[in-house]
Amino acid sequence: MSRATILLMLPALLVLTLFGVVLASFASVSLMVLDPGSAVFHGPPTLANYTRLLGSEGAWRAVLTTLRLSAEITVLCVLFGYPLARVLARSHSRSLRRVILFCLVATFLSGGVTRAYAWLIILGNQGLINQGLRAVGLPRAALINNEFAVVVSVLNFVLPFFVLTLFGALRTIPEQLEHAARNLGASRLRSFVSVTLPLSLPGLAAATSLCFALSLGAFLFPQMLGGGRVHVLATAIYDRIQASYDIPSAAALAVLFFLLVLLMLAVVGGLRRLVAVRFAGEAA
Amino acid sequence: MTRRAIDHTRPVSAVVTVWGLATLVFVLLPLPFIVLYALSRNNYALFSAQGFTLQWFQRFFENDRFMAALQNSLAISAITTVVALAIAAPTAIVAVRHRFPGRDLMMALISAPLLVPGVISGTAALSFVAQTRIGPGFWPITVAMICFTLPLVLRPLVANLSGLDPDLEKAARNLGASPFAAFWRVTMPQLAPGLVAGGTFAFVEAMDNFSIAVFLTNISTTTLPVEAYSYIRDIDDPTVAAMATLLILLSIGVVLAIEWLLGLDRFLDMS
Repeated sequence: MSRATILLMLPALLVLTLFGVVLASFASVSLMVLDPGSAVFHGPPTLANYTRLLGSEGAWRAVLTTLRLSAEITVLCVLFGYPLARVLARSHSRSLRRVILFCLVATFLSGGVTRAYAWLIILGNQGLINQGLRAVGLPRAALINNEFAVVVSVLNFVLPFFVLTLFGALRTIPEQLEHAARNLGASRLRSFVSVTLPLSLPGLAAATSLCFALSLGAFLFPQMLGGGRVHVLATAIYDRIQASYDIPSAAALAVLFFLLVLLMLAVVGGLRRLVAVRFAGEAA
Repeated sequence: MTRRAIDHTRPVSAVVTVWGLATLVFVLLPLPFIVLYALSRNNYALFSAQGFTLQWFQRFFENDRFMAALQNSLAISAITTVVALAIAAPTAIVAVRHRFPGRDLMMALISAPLLVPGVISGTAALSFVAQTRIGPGFWPITVAMICFTLPLVLRPLVANLSGLDPDLEKAARNLGASPFAAFWRVTMPQLAPGLVAGGTFAFVEAMDNFSIAVFLTNISTTTLPVEAYSYIRDIDDPTVAAMATLLILLSIGVVLAIEWLLGLDRFLDMS
C-alpha cells in the first residue's frame, strides 16, 4: 500500500474505526448490568441480560413478528412492484416513463415522517376512511395500531426503493429477446415466464433483499402506526431505553437483532448466488 | 385458428400496465392527503364548509421549537453533505484507481453502516456518548449522520469515477501539472454528476433520519423529524402536515433540479 493510498483512505478509515469502536463498546455494554433505580451500569461481565432475554417470551415473539412482517411486506412488494418496474422499463411512451420516474424519486425524497403522518391521517380512528364509513352509516374499522397499518405503511415506504432497483436490472434485458419469443409463437405470458422472468431473477433477487433488509430495520412506521401494540425488535429496543433507560438490556437485544440481520443477509446472499448460478451462469 | 399479428408497439399488456399504475397510485397516495390536511380548518377534516386556510403554515413558522429543530436539521444536513463528500471523494479514488490487498474488504466494510438497522446504530451511539460523558446533542448527531451517509455518497462517486478516462489526468501531468492540479482541473469537473447525486442522498438522508437521531437528541437540541414525532404524540394538529407539505415541495424542487442538472436517468444510473 503506497503512502498516497493511505493518506487518501485516512478520513474514511477514521470514520470506519469510530463506527467499529462504537459498536464494539455497545456489545460490551450488553455484558454489564444496570444499577437499580439509576442510569449507571457496571461490570463485571455477565451473561445475565442474555439469559433473561432468551428466557423471555416477549423477545421471541418480537423476533417472530419482525420476520413475519418483513416476509409479508417483501411478498407484497414483489407482487405490486414488479409490474410497475416492468412498465417503467418497457413502456414506449417516453412521457409515461418520465412521469413514473419523477413520482418515484419525489416520494422517495419526501421522507419517512411525512408519509408515516399521512397514513395516520388516512387510517386513524378519526381518519379519512373511518369518516367515510361513518358518513354512510357503517361501523368503525380498526385500521390503525395493528399489523395491517404497519404493513401498509412500510410497503408504501419500501416500494420506490424496490421498483427503482428492479428497473435498473430490467432495462438491461434486451427487448428483442421478448420479440423473438413472441414471433416464435409464445403467448405474452409464456414469453414472460420463460424469457424475461429468468433473465430478471438476479435483479429481482437484489431488489427483494433490499426490500427485506429495509423492512427488518423499519422503526418509525411500527412506532407511529403500531401504537404500542405491534412489537418488532426495533420498537422493543426503543421501549427499553424509553421506559427504563436500561442501556445494557437494550444492548443485548440489539446484539441479538444484529445477529439475526447477519443471518438473514447470509441466507439471502446464498439464495442470490444460487439464482445467479442457475440463471445467469455466473455469480452476481 | 388464424394467428393474429403480434403488436410489438405494445410491449406491456394492458393488465400489467393498469396493475403497475395502480401501484404508483398507492405509492403517491399519502402525498395529496397530507397537502389537503395542511390546508384544512379542523383536526381530522379534509374539507369543510369554511374552505381552506394557511394558519397551520403560520403556526409552524411561529413555533419556536419547530424553528430551532429546522435550523438544527438544516445545519446538520449541510455539514454532513460537505464532510461526507470530502471524505468520500478520496476514498472513491482509491476504490477505482488504486490496487492493494484487502481493498475489496475495506470497501465492503465502509458500506457496513447501511446494513445495520438504524435503531442499533442509534442505541449504540447513545450508549457511547453516555459512557464517554460526551452526551447527546448537535455534534454527536452530525458525526453519526456522516458515518451513516458515507456509503450512500461513495457509491455514486465510484460509479462516476469508473466511467472516466484516467489518461486525461496523465496527459495533464505530462504537460507539467502537479498531481493535485491535474486532479482538480481535469478530473474534478467530470465528477460533478457523482457529487450532485451523492450530495443529494447525504442531504436528504440527514434531513429525514429518525431512527438514529431520536436517540441523540436532548431537551435543547432536536431535529425536525424528532420534533415532529413528539408534536404528533403530544398535540396532533395539522401543523405537522404543514411541515410535511413544505418537505414535499422541497423534494419536488430537488427532483426538478436533478432533472435539469443531470437528468433523472443519469441520477439513477449512479445510485
